[in-house]
Formats: sequence, structure tokens, C-alpha cells
Amino acid sequence: MEEIKDKLRAFIQEKFEIDDDPDFTDDVHLFNEGFVDSFGAVEIIHFIEQTYNIEITQKDITLYPMNTIEEIAEVVDSKLS
Amino acid sequence: MENLMQSAVCLLEQAAERFKNRIVFEDKDGTISFEDLRTKSRIVGSELISRVTTGQKSPVIVYLPKSINSIISFMGLLYSASPYVPIDYAIPMARMEKTIDNLLPSAIITDTEGKEKLASLNTDVDILLFDELVNGHQNDEAINNSLSGVCDLDCAYIMYTSGSTGVPKGVTVSHRGVLDYIEWIVSTFPIDENSIIGMQSAFHFDNSVFDMYTAFYTGAKTMIIPEILFMYPEKLMDYMAESKISVIFWVPTVMISVANGGVLENTSLPDLKLILFAGEVMPNTQLNIWRKSFPECMYVNMYGPTEATDIATYYIVDREFENHETLPIGKVCSNMRALILNDENKQCKTGEQGELCISGTGIALGYWNAPDITAKAFVQNPLNTKYHDRIYRTGDLVYENEEGNIIFIGRKDSQIKLRGNRIELGDLESAAAAIENVQSACALFNAGKQEIVLFIETTAEIKERKFKMELKKYVPAYMVPAKIITMDKFPHTSSGKIDRVGLRKEYIEV
Repeated sequence: MEEIKDKLRAFIQEKFEIDDDPDFTDDVHLFNEGFVDSFGAVEIIHFIEQTYNIEITQKDITLYPMNTIEEIAEVVDSKLS
Repeated sequence: MENLMQSAVCLLEQAAERFKNRIVFEDKDGTISFEDLRTKSRIVGSELISRVTTGQKSPVIVYLPKSINSIISFMGLLYSASPYVPIDYAIPMARMEKTIDNLLPSAIITDTEGKEKLASLNTDVDILLFDELVNGHQNDEAINNSLSGVCDLDCAYIMYTSGSTGVPKGVTVSHRGVLDYIEWIVSTFPIDENSIIGMQSAFHFDNSVFDMYTAFYTGAKTMIIPEILFMYPEKLMDYMAESKISVIFWVPTVMISVANGGVLENTSLPDLKLILFAGEVMPNTQLNIWRKSFPECMYVNMYGPTEATDIATYYIVDREFENHETLPIGKVCSNMRALILNDENKQCKTGEQGELCISGTGIALGYWNAPDITAKAFVQNPLNTKYHDRIYRTGDLVYENEEGNIIFIGRKDSQIKLRGNRIELGDLESAAAAIENVQSACALFNAGKQEIVLFIETTAEIKERKFKMELKKYVPAYMVPAKIITMDKFPHTSSGKIDRVGLRKEYIEV
């Protein structure tokens, strides 16, 4: 779980050019707080699908919130186990 | 019950008789049948009558997530003869306060989370929990009594839209507007009880009128597509296929993002038959990708401001269009009339540019509790001196081509359309100017990039993300500018106004 979060954090920080910012935490709402725009959501899903070789289905997206690093990592973790 | 024909809720009454236990709506939490929807709505209506002041001058805000519960609340309100007012569940509280100040509602229907958010407001409006209302008691006598007093020119709903001074405008729409609009829809397009409608619109946008009432009229099923899916075009297409969606009425922004996402080429949607779109300009570049992927579908470009009960004109796409061509907005719907007036209030000749004005039964009753702005937009038809003939001045510049189709050109004022949202730039400017350390604010639209650029006059250092978060406390997220440019001093024209033309030349047209 920690490893997934680390990877996600590093990807998001690089991809969306986020400086070291105390507000950029594992439970900050990435979209509402302006760290990632709505188009970026697709890129995050692509990243985890490819990195972990899993499929995030439309039902996953509908049923589980994936707005924070914590939440996204939980979905990935549940798919892997 | 003949008197029911005066109210938009008569469509639900008839549907419940005809289609009984067939499913009418599905959201991510479940489904509801026509009959159950009627029963639950009647219960909500009965509870409202017994708890708060109801009637056509007593609107009630529905502040719920996009769900079947919203629809039960709307219909419950119509049963109680009160107008319903759908409000964005993500609305900033400062804006909610302005809306309440203008609307003076007799109550707000919400859930526990919404109630917590509303607690920060200084208001004495009754806050009713949806769960309590829907578990109440049905009193058909009270409902029939309230319905018998409804006339079709009473207000059915009020939808708030951006106002140029920062005060939202409540477009007040009649039952007759809804009834005639839906009658036109079902007589024009092939939708029946086997259709499955894929609903994109939020309830506080007027396109949702189509998704709800068309289902009542035809017996179709409407799937309330989870909003989150619109961020993921590929997953959205999976949902469309799995749900066997056959009809969509979407805002072009969504169709554009799906086309640009490159997912249409690999998608098979054999059930999809009818594709309607309205709310902003639909570019042929992206429409052509749709048409190539789904050549059998019927495509319809529709046009209409909220003040015209959603739709006023339409164009069935009946020929090939090059990417650079403009789609016509076509001809008027039934019981509506279009008038193109030039600066001298004379009717334009073919090809001559003028302001599109609309009249007919779909025209709104005006802006709620705002006689001055109503009087400016809803005026006497200057071509008719014989009797009271109300037209709505849309502010949209158009011309009529040789085939009698209307072509949209742009706006007369500083209103813009961004991703389907109608925005008055003055609305954003007044919100920005209210933020600490901002001396003055000026918003310009970059049409080429489809983004708002906000200029702020300030001597303080502004952190862009923080500033955007601050703005979001006052305006909806879709109004937050893509770019912020700060300067110590704005350039001014000789008359002392902000030099908008100069700013545009220096920063936008480069």
C-alpha cells in the first residue's frame, strides 16, 4: 500500500508539475484543490492500469471514490490482492 | 383528472397509468418504476403541503446530489403546486446565499450532508430532509386540492444562471413551456417505450427537462449516468454499451472530449440511434468523428437559452459538412417563433446579421423577483403594435441563410459559453474583485483556446492555485479562469475605463 502511494505521488507530482507543497498530501482532493485538472484523471487511470497491469472498470469508477492518492491506492490495492 | 393537464406533473400521472411497474429511472444506487415514482412524489408533495407554505409563489430549493431522489423531490413539489428550484450540489455557499436572497424560498430539501453545509449560512429558511419527507404520509385529497388550482401559466421550475452583476438570475419557466416542449420532442424524434436515454445533464441545467419528461411521455427509461464517468471517456463508452443506451442529449463539450479522447474508433454502440446536442457550438471537426464511427445515427443540432424552456430551434444534420463549416441552428420548434432584428429593431433580410428574438409558449415568465432585468430582456415585439406580444431578446447574433436556416455567429455582450456553461464575465470579475488585495479585476475570453483569462490589479504576490481556491468560494468551479495574469496597474482608456482591447491585444492575440 505504501509503495503504491509512493509511486502514485511521484507520478502525479512529476506529471502535473507540483512543487513541494505542504497542501499536497495523500488525502487532499486532487481535482477540487486544483492539483490535477479533469483531463488529468484519465492519465492517472492509464498510469495505474499499465503499471500494475489491472483494469479499472466503469463500475469501479462509479462505485469507489478516486479523488485522493489514498483512495486511488486503495482501489489498486484491492485489485492486486 | 382533467385538471392535471394544466401541470407538467400530468405527464407523470399519465405515465404511471400507462407504464405502471416498468422502470423509468436508474441511477448508481438503484431503479424506480413509474408507479413508485408517482407514489413517492405524492408522499413528498403531501408532506410539503402539511409542513411549509406551498403554491406557485412559494418555490422550494432542491439541494441534492444528481439522483432519483432529486426527481422525486421535483415531482413532489409540482404535486404541491410549488415551483422546484434545482441547485448544483457543488455550489459555493456564498453563491447559495445570493440565490436564497433573491428567491426567498419557503424551504430547502436536502440530505444530511447538505444540511451540514447549509449550517454555515445565516438563514431562517426551513431545511427539510428528503428521507423524512419520503417516509411520510400520502394525502391524495390535499394533493388533488392543490393541483386543482394550478393553471398552465404558473411557474413549474426556476433555474439560476450567471448574472452580469454577480447576482444569479432565476429563469422562471411555466408548465405550458414544459408541456409544449416535450410534445414537440416526441412528435419530432423517434423515441418510444423501448428507448433508453443516457442522461448527461445536471438537473440545474435545462437540458435535464428533456431527460425527465421525455421518459414520462414515451415510457422510455432514463439512465442517470454517474457524473464521474464524464472524466473518463473510455469508461463512459463502456457504460453506454453495457447499458444499451439508444438516445443521448449531451452538451457539445462532452461529445468533443469523447471524440478527442480517441475512444470512438474502437467503440461499438449498436443500440445508439439518436444523438441530440445543445448548449454551445458543436464543431464539425469532432462531430465528423462521431458520424464516421456511428453513421446510422440521427444527429440533431439544437439551440435555445434557458429562457426558452431549453430549446427554440433545431437542425437535423442532413448532409456532409466539412470540418471548417458551421452547423446551422436551423428552424424554430412548434409553437415558437424566431425573429431576427437589426439595430433599428427592423426585421433583417436574408443574410443580414441581427439579434435573435424568440416568442411563443416556451418563453419564460421572466427572471424571478427581478423586474428590471426582466423588463430589459422580455419586451414587446417592435413589429407588432396591435396587442401585447412578448418576445425574449437572446443577445445572440445570427443570420438566416438562403435555405431559411438560422446560423449562429456570436454574442452581443460579454456573456460566454464555456464547456456548455453560460457565464457572464462580469459575474467572475465582481467575485475576483471581492478577494483580499485585489484592487480591480478584468476577465477576457480566449475563444481560440476556449479559456478565460483573468487579469488582476494588485501589488501583493498572488499564488495562482491558492487564488483559484479562494475564487471557488464565490463562483462555481467552471467559472474559475484557466490563466491568471497580475499587474500593478491596469492600462486605461482615455475615458478612464480598463483598456480591455489593449489587454486582449497584448496578452491574448499574440
